[in-house]
Amino acid sequence: MASEKFVIPIGPQHPALKEPGHFEFNVDGEIVTDASVRLGYVHRGIEKGAETRNFVQAEYLVERICGICSHVHATAFCLGVERLAGVEAPPRAQAIRQIVAELERIHSHLLWVGVAAHEAGFDTLFMYTWRDRETVMNLLEGITGNRVNYSANVLGGVKCDIGPEQAEAIQIGLNFLEERTRHYLEVVSSDAMFLRRTRGIGVMTREDAERMGVVGPTARASGVPRDVRIDAPYLLYAEHPVELVIEEAGDLEARFKVRVRELFESYRVIRELLTALPEGELTARIPRRIKPAETISRVEAPRGELFYFIKSNGTDSAERVKVRTPTLPNMASVLALSVGHQLADVPMILAGIDPCFSCNDRMAVVKRNGDEQVWTWEQLRQYGIEYYR
Amino acid sequence: MKVMTMWRDALDGLVKSPATQRYPFVRAVAPDRLRGQLHWNPESCTGCGLCAKDCPAEAIEVIVLDKKAKRFVFRYHVDRCTFCAQCVASCRQGCLEMASDAWELAATDKDDFLVHYGAEEDVEAVLAGAPAADAPVAE
Repeated sequence: MASEKFVIPIGPQHPALKEPGHFEFNVDGEIVTDASVRLGYVHRGIEKGAETRNFVQAEYLVERICGICSHVHATAFCLGVERLAGVEAPPRAQAIRQIVAELERIHSHLLWVGVAAHEAGFDTLFMYTWRDRETVMNLLEGITGNRVNYSANVLGGVKCDIGPEQAEAIQIGLNFLEERTRHYLEVVSSDAMFLRRTRGIGVMTREDAERMGVVGPTARASGVPRDVRIDAPYLLYAEHPVELVIEEAGDLEARFKVRVRELFESYRVIRELLTALPEGELTARIPRRIKPAETISRVEAPRGELFYFIKSNGTDSAERVKVRTPTLPNMASVLALSVGHQLADVPMILAGIDPCFSCNDRMAVVKRNGDEQVWTWEQLRQYGIEYYR
Repeated sequence: MKVMTMWRDALDGLVKSPATQRYPFVRAVAPDRLRGQLHWNPESCTGCGLCAKDCPAEAIEVIVLDKKAKRFVFRYHVDRCTFCAQCVASCRQGCLEMASDAWELAATDKDDFLVHYGAEEDVEAVLAGAPAADAPVAE
């Protein structure tokens, strides 16, 4: 009987998080011996959709790739299109983009701390981080006019200004959040029961992290110094830099610490920007039609490096938009790290990378040695029709 | 190593009032910049249709009855609108704004989501399905 495998399927509905993904874990008793994943349940055809809309409309479509980090998607797209058009957003617009991006990072990290604590069964932490997260949601609503898809960006600049009234509200909000964050850092690094669920669980060495190409806070928790804001500064990150937050342990505790400590950097850089907010216009004029060219645009989303490739063809819409979200490179680490752990630790390891399944789902053909293939759009279309028949 | 690091929060929670709001009994004041229902001011509109062209949700139609006499009907699909305010940014004449107080937009009938702005007789003409001869429809 020892040769028979016992497979536990998890998903596709609600595998720990409220998004679809299918996992299969081979177990020996309670210990995971092998893991596999199947993604793609929320493929929405956004890349193709972005090609059928003009640049202005496509910005709002890509903003909806992720409900949590919507602003960085729009920023990455705008930066790319602006580079194609040879236009640069005015300094004040760039500062406001950076402030909104950092506020968004605060809300995303607070949300993650809550979700990950919930996976550990620590619902008190979950409830209170989410209560405090409302502070930053209200700030974002006050600045931009919406809680989730802020639509702060337009091509060539931003829509919303930050006046003295908003600046004061941000300062008050940040003071409250900074005090709370100190408390949360103490909780995640000293609570004995919580540490039983995080310390030494899901350890990823620096070599493993580099081999699997993980990005963002997940990589930084394993001692990999990787942050687009520092490696390739965009917006005003060169003038108002953030410091690299890094931990060496590589376990879940380190991932908690990295994200919570990053909050302090966000608070600091927002305050710095508010005191040195450049004067001037909010938007620069951008042509509707953009000459044929191609560009890449990289930004640091709360979950890691977000990559955009945009190709223009002389019309007012893109020839090709390619998006790579940070969950895709991080997903491999979940499978590798689960092996050898108790099945009960798997939801924590999965939540540890801060996955966003629907961000991540798009068509990819992996080229192996010798069997590479090129598909035309017609073949892809037929494949799609056959797949769902 | 400590135990029960959040006991103080838990105790505070017992005596503090809830963080949630008693909506719909208590209606919080929306921030000034909240993007609610779109409003169209016909006075300076030139009927260029840029708002409709840039709308990512195809929620706007500018129906031109007579460009010289500035007879336009502005059809707004509230149910399609994503409240991104790109139309407000696109309009060069400043004819559009999003109301911060009109955000309770749920309805039981789909027809309620179709809003027409414009002179009464023009709206009636459009609803009767008889736009003026050779009127270009910017959509």
